[in-house]
Amino acid sequence: MVRPALRSRSLRRVKRKTPGKTHKVHYKPKKPSIARCAICKKPLHGVPRERSSKMRIARTKKKPTRPYGGNLCSSCMRTRFKEKLYKSETK
Amino acid sequence: MMDIGRICLKTAGREAGSYCIIIKKIDDKFVMITGPRAATNVRRRKCNIAHLEPLPEKLKIKENADDSEILTVFDKEKLFEKLKIIKPSAERIKQIESMKAEKQKKKEEREKKEAEKKAKEKKAKEEKKKEPKKEEKKPEPKKEESKKEKPKEEPKKEEKPKTEKKPKEKK
Repeated sequence: MVRPALRSRSLRRVKRKTPGKTHKVHYKPKKPSIARCAICKKPLHGVPRERSSKMRIARTKKKPTRPYGGNLCSSCMRTRFKEKLYKSETK
Repeated sequence: MMDIGRICLKTAGREAGSYCIIIKKIDDKFVMITGPRAATNVRRRKCNIAHLEPLPEKLKIKENADDSEILTVFDKEKLFEKLKIIKPSAERIKQIESMKAEKQKKKEEREKKEAEKKAKEKKAKEEKKKEPKKEEKKPEPKKEESKKEKPKEEPKKEEKPKTEKKPKEKK
């Protein structure tokens, strides 16, 4: 029986084969969910799916460098800018 | 619609959401644009028409006009107020000009270094082509030298017995 802390489902279970050819279960923290567009809910490109401890990488590798990068997909961003432009023209 | 002097909104890339002006028409798909950079942070670059949203405003400028010329036209037409763009200060314009000059210097240095490298590589290749013929001749004289060296070593062997004699004298 494993210790009580590992009995909860807050940790994910990973099956590993040891060098002695026995199977063991490792308990690892869960990964965060995939980043999605705030409007169309499509999964975003260029946003790594890692915990903050493994996100010690360059700023340019964390999300796209365009405006709304990591929040909106490229097509939704374009439509948003166009909407803004037409609204300002009508005023 | 995409003529020289047309003001557009960039809708793609890291400069998305900023205004720019068309300077030159390259072909059916591509045009050259500038912000100018001092005013809107859009660089002088090639751009796909699909990434631009044209505005009704159009300025009278020459093909491939300088940024300073465009800024004066912006001032005359009062576009800074219409588009809500902050008018760049003289310091900002100087900064960008100095940055451009530095970039050009670096480019020239790089080109020089590349040209020197290519010249060296060419020389090395030419030398390599000539060298193998000389190498075939060299090994023959080496054998002769080795024969000459051997007799020099022999007298050293003769010296050893002298050392053996000395302890006998002590006795």
